[in-house]
Amino acid sequence: MATVREKGYTHWEGRLGERRFPWWPITRTGILLAFRKKRFKFVFAVAFGPAIVALVGLYISERLEDFKAFIQDSNLIDIGPKYFATFFMNDWLLFMILLVLAYGAGGLIADDLKHNSLQLYFSRPLGKKDYFAGKMSVVAFFVLIFTALPGLLLIVFKLVFAGSFAFFLQYPWLPLSVLGYSAMLTVFFGFYILLMSALSKNSRYVFVLTFGTYIFSTVLFGILNGIFKTPYMALFSIPANLQQARAFIFGLKLPHAFPAGWSLAVLAGICGLAAVVLNRKIRSVEVIK
Amino acid sequence: MTAVIAASHLSKWYGNVLGLNDVSLEIEEGITGLLGPNGAGKSTFMKLITGQMKPAIGSVTIRGRKAWNDPDVYQGIGFCPEQDVFYEDVTGWELVTGLLRFYGYSRTEIRERAARALDVVDLTADKDRLIRGYSRGMRQRVKFAQTIAHDPDILILDEPLSGLDPLGKRKLIKLIKDFKKQGRTVLVSSHVLPEIEALTSQIVLIHQGKILAQGDVPFIRELIEAHPHQISVRSSDPRALAARFVGERSIQKMTFGADGRTLVVETHKRDAFFSRLTGVVLEAGIAVEEISSPDDNLQAVFEYLVGK
Repeated sequence: MATVREKGYTHWEGRLGERRFPWWPITRTGILLAFRKKRFKFVFAVAFGPAIVALVGLYISERLEDFKAFIQDSNLIDIGPKYFATFFMNDWLLFMILLVLAYGAGGLIADDLKHNSLQLYFSRPLGKKDYFAGKMSVVAFFVLIFTALPGLLLIVFKLVFAGSFAFFLQYPWLPLSVLGYSAMLTVFFGFYILLMSALSKNSRYVFVLTFGTYIFSTVLFGILNGIFKTPYMALFSIPANLQQARAFIFGLKLPHAFPAGWSLAVLAGICGLAAVVLNRKIRSVEVIK
Repeated sequence: MTAVIAASHLSKWYGNVLGLNDVSLEIEEGITGLLGPNGAGKSTFMKLITGQMKPAIGSVTIRGRKAWNDPDVYQGIGFCPEQDVFYEDVTGWELVTGLLRFYGYSRTEIRERAARALDVVDLTADKDRLIRGYSRGMRQRVKFAQTIAHDPDILILDEPLSGLDPLGKRKLIKLIKDFKKQGRTVLVSSHVLPEIEALTSQIVLIHQGKILAQGDVPFIRELIEAHPHQISVRSSDPRALAARFVGERSIQKMTFGADGRTLVVETHKRDAFFSRLTGVVLEAGIAVEEISSPDDNLQAVFEYLVGK
């Protein structure tokens, strides 16, 4: 006689929801854990500084008469593509984005490796691509919130303060440039941070590595430029390549005397290298330690 | 009965290190114990089943579907890894609810399932504490909670009893046995023999990446007939008893226990020995206090098979 079996733990009659965004739990956890870190909220708030300064500048530009006692040269706050490019490429913004990412997102993969969490993820209905998409979305969240969001809001505020659409009609492509540059920063920093995060199990080392590599690339540019006296040495510098790409996207004069395509190729190369390393590092969890 | 988990010529290398070597195995409903020393290939086998690794050679199927790279298969699997696998700065509740999000349940469903699973492992009172503050046993229990929270049909438990106190072990053993009664499939690994014996008599012995034997303990014992059975007889006069057996051809070896009251006999013909023992005891008037067969212990079976 066949055994009669009863499934006693639970009788679930519901329907499983369609898993349209299987990467979302990874993103959600990544963002929540970042805000749980000590002092992260402070760093996060300070990172809005450049956007607030840009907003104040924008307001003053529309009320020059009220501030003429303080403003000697009104050309300083001439609102146009260059103003936005300056906002995007000022050292303070890039430094704060890097600080937020290194501090808040540096452990994205490092902590998974440290805590062996990959086993928990990959024994669930989650693919490797979903895993990376989830991690990348955490970086995207932090980059876009300091770039695309304030960039687009600045355009909106400019229109509100001016009370007309003249600015938009003058530079109709500006929102696209804002989005394009923000997207480029997101993709680059996404791969860069995940690459750094996958190189160590210790998020403090990741923090040092993230800043160290970024700063060392600039120092290397300075040294090589001093020796070889050629602008192409800027290709060794991450910030210099980002500046070159920014100028290209906003249609401004290139800061270094070589085609912007070279810089884009270097940035794409770093992303490609990161993709290869990430693929290997996550697979190498299998290796017996 | 159709195999729930089937491995066919499964091999896995870690660089030059062999993790699993040509393993063909079928696991049916109920509890199956995967027994082997550390580094035997138990965790590798479990990771292959749960799709965390790609087999170098061969394949694993879960209810007929390939385990590798098919996330839908993992809906019905609950995996409890050996090591601690969680962030320290989340609470038990956050861990279980967070992992349930991968299955596409509604928020209410996630909360209900997490509460139920944490209740089963007696962690309801501590669910809002950070895992950082959990004891080893509590960590083990929260790991088990995340394993059962989505109500899987197949449980893959890698050393689930390690770190638990005796009471916790007993409760978890009962819980695992309940899963068996519900018609589920449980594969549980351990290198501690009594743990496996307490859970099931259906075992797979694994060593150096190879399956040494599969079946229940008596079946495996039959496989190793080449090795003599050990029979231990505690009596009032073990030396007098030994003297009576010296001439027996079926006896391979006799040793005396450290307590001076035990005679340990090794023989290929166990039934013949027992028949003869009855006569000898009666003839010589030796008071026998205990007869036991250490061979029935899983440790002995395992040691024979690995050639110790």
